[in-house]
Amino acid sequence: MNHVELDPRFAPPFPQAVLPVLRNPQLRKNVAHAIDVIQAKRAKLVAEKTDWQALRTAAAAIRSHALENLGAYLEEFEARCTAAGGQVHWASDADEARRLILDLLRQEKASEVIKIKTMTSAEIQLNPFLQAAGVDVFETDLAEIILQLGELEPSHIVVPALHVNRSQVREIFARRMGLKDLSDDPKELTNAARHYLRQKFLAIPTAISGANFLIAETGAVAVVESEGNGRMCLTLPRTLITLAGIEKVLPRFQDLEVMLQLLARSATGERMNPYTSLWTGVTAGDGPQRFHVVLLDNGRSSILSKPKQRQTLKCIRCAACMNACPVYRQTGGHAYGSVYPGPIGAILTPQLMQMHYAQSLPFASSLCGACYEACPVKINIPEVLLELRSQVVNQERKQAGRFFDPLYLGLRVANLLFAWAWLFHAAQWAGRVGLRVFTRKDGWIHWLPSVGGKWTQTRDLRGLPAQTFHQWWAARAKEKQ
Amino acid sequence: MSTSAETRQLILDRIRAAILPPAKDLAGAAVDYSALPRDYIRRGSLSREDKLQLMIERLREYDAEVIETTPRELPAAIAAQLKASGKRNFIAPAGLPAEWLADDFHWTIDHGLTTEQIEQAEGVVTAAFCGVADSGTIVLHHSAEEGRRVLTLLPDWHLCILRSSQVVQSFPEYFDRLPQPPRLVTYISGPSATADIEMTRIKGVHGPRFLAVILVRDEV
Amino acid sequence: MRASLFITCYNDTLYPETGQAVVRLLERLGVELDFRSRQTCCGQMHANTGFRAEAYSQAKRFVRLYQDAEAVVIPSSSCVAMIRDQYPGLFQELGNEALRQEYAALLPRVFELSEFLIDRLGVEQVGAYFPHRVVYHASCHGVRALHLGDRPYRLLANVRGLELATLPNVDRCCGFGGTFSVKNAEVSSAMLAVKLQDVVSTGAEYCTALDNSCLMHLGGAMHRQYAGMKTIHLAQILASTEEAQAEAAQ
Repeated sequence: MNHVELDPRFAPPFPQAVLPVLRNPQLRKNVAHAIDVIQAKRAKLVAEKTDWQALRTAAAAIRSHALENLGAYLEEFEARCTAAGGQVHWASDADEARRLILDLLRQEKASEVIKIKTMTSAEIQLNPFLQAAGVDVFETDLAEIILQLGELEPSHIVVPALHVNRSQVREIFARRMGLKDLSDDPKELTNAARHYLRQKFLAIPTAISGANFLIAETGAVAVVESEGNGRMCLTLPRTLITLAGIEKVLPRFQDLEVMLQLLARSATGERMNPYTSLWTGVTAGDGPQRFHVVLLDNGRSSILSKPKQRQTLKCIRCAACMNACPVYRQTGGHAYGSVYPGPIGAILTPQLMQMHYAQSLPFASSLCGACYEACPVKINIPEVLLELRSQVVNQERKQAGRFFDPLYLGLRVANLLFAWAWLFHAAQWAGRVGLRVFTRKDGWIHWLPSVGGKWTQTRDLRGLPAQTFHQWWAARAKEKQ
Repeated sequence: MSTSAETRQLILDRIRAAILPPAKDLAGAAVDYSALPRDYIRRGSLSREDKLQLMIERLREYDAEVIETTPRELPAAIAAQLKASGKRNFIAPAGLPAEWLADDFHWTIDHGLTTEQIEQAEGVVTAAFCGVADSGTIVLHHSAEEGRRVLTLLPDWHLCILRSSQVVQSFPEYFDRLPQPPRLVTYISGPSATADIEMTRIKGVHGPRFLAVILVRDEV
Repeated sequence: MRASLFITCYNDTLYPETGQAVVRLLERLGVELDFRSRQTCCGQMHANTGFRAEAYSQAKRFVRLYQDAEAVVIPSSSCVAMIRDQYPGLFQELGNEALRQEYAALLPRVFELSEFLIDRLGVEQVGAYFPHRVVYHASCHGVRALHLGDRPYRLLANVRGLELATLPNVDRCCGFGGTFSVKNAEVSSAMLAVKLQDVVSTGAEYCTALDNSCLMHLGGAMHRQYAGMKTIHLAQILASTEEAQAEAAQ
């Protein structure tokens, strides 16, 4: 009943993980199509919103301010939420969060639970843990049930099943919902999901959600969605458990006037998403009468402690960076081996793992900067990528085995050469001579060994010219005398 | 295994240690907060009429049925919409004005209805708190005349009565109208939708698939 | 007007003709150019690959070398981006106050080529003649780091005989990304294929840019695929005159 969780501890390094993806025309076509649709819509709406840059500036400032005062705002949130009838719990890591949630479910004697999509729960691998403990978890987002019923992995934060086409969905629904005559018309498929899920919404009294924002000023929680399954899970059950990373907090309710204008435009290219729900603690007669918030650290406080990296936590999970990323456009999300893929995943995932895993992710970027340009809260992703690259290198260069790694060796040697011009010039001469053997009659190199071979897989290289620029200059200077 | 109180302290200690120079308290933070840059548009510049036309246009983009009427004609307009829906059984929030409960239809008033009872209804009629024209958003604060959240969630058809005096142009203007933040909110910007299957936008996944709005021109 | 040319390590080694074109162009415009023979590299390759200590030593060397230059002209937007965006962090982390001040004093005098022409010399018409259909590839550093805007287009618009083609998806990265091109060669090549499709679709004879790094990547694939299109640095187009064209034809 669960789809396999992407786990950075076991995922292959990015350069390896992309290979099956690059060879999958269906997936690449789906990814490119989905991205193009969202990007076209987004571009139109951003152009129309003449204060877009001012909104970004405000959002970035609000989020930075919230992070710099995180302790105070979290305590305020806790006090307000509790006063309004909610119960606030704190979880230091994934393990503690999972056990805490299971305990709450056991207190409810809940053997089933309905869920709204939340990446935070995927981050802590909640579903398999609950299943193993005898709790049936029913995802209710359309993409999530496609993945859950089809036992597939997600490939995008906002459109997780974009790699699955209609006939694949039809096959999954027909099989798992017992609907033999189901067509592959998206409308019919959606209707099938509507009926299938309605039974669950009306029957299961316990729900788990994530949170888009926690409002410190009032203790409210905001959830943003498109399908309505969120409203179902947030309103119908008796007990609601909301799992939220500690970085989700906003100082004031009014901050939503900035964040909500940016979020939908960035995520799905809409002026506003269909439904946004906001609730404060427990309200008699309306919605769940038992409400729990689980505040999750799981590495976030560690990121907070690093000034250059802290901006990573500004993220509002809109996936605009993914939609803008030319690397992601080619690879989709699986290759990142994490529930957080794309540019934000490349910086968030290794940091959440304290740089022990996912070390290839910071290098999975050409540093083009499109993500930074698109990010509604102005996370300078390239800057963090570079910082993480140097941390990975500092880790790796200590390893004995790395000394003879061609790239490490090459860069060390290059640094030496760049320190003295005469040495650099000598190396240029040596390079020219050495590469002669690879240079064909037309003056181009078609094949190189080792690291060079990675270049010549798909590209030729023009052979080194007989005279460098500085030699030409020197000769010209001589001539002038 | 630590207790929740111990974990709480652990996390707060980590956070405190993470920020240097040391973070301020809430009062100090409030000072910084008030100095944050807010150069975005806080007030729309459309005329009242253009603003209302924009609201109507946005609602129609969502395939919502939009009717304009005057306060005097409102009950008749409601009756006409209910008739046009082809439905008979409607739910109303406890605080819905009595004159809105059109004759010839079956009304169940929400004095604590069960979910099963709400499931029997074919449609619901409510008021709203506000409308935001820029995004065609209907704001519900779930007051007595707007009804509990479940009332606008389970029925398949929703008729919303929106007064023109409740319509603002920009989202920040809605926030300016609040004496204090609301406890419960639902922002509705079109029927539910998904683009999860091949990016084909399908409307009406969960929640009412049909939305009708009567815009009451209550401003002189 | 005096200026010092920082040719960049890879132009010196692989594209000396670009440097020669910069010299021809600037001297034609009355600039007295000097070339400091001790120059090597700005440190970008090391910085981008995570070798910060090494990048720092090169950065320090650069700043010391050009201390007294009236202006430094660099025909490579990625190198200028390195100097503007990454040097501050390196000097903050590894340098001292004196070095930071030297850098701060030098920074306003560092120019990418199109910036030097338009902002410093104040010229858009450089007397160039290049009667060919050309497509301009806007490298990411130029667009997003240096915010060059329409500078290259204004220069191209004034080249006599040049027909400028419009490149679809002009803001999309070509996939070079420095060592990314070999560390993630397969993805780099996938991005290259997509970019090349857009470039070739313009039917241009030449693809130009302000960075030979992107052109090496695009041109390498063009040559591999017998695409018929050639790459050429913008400096070489701007340096091109009728006499030069006539010379080349002989």
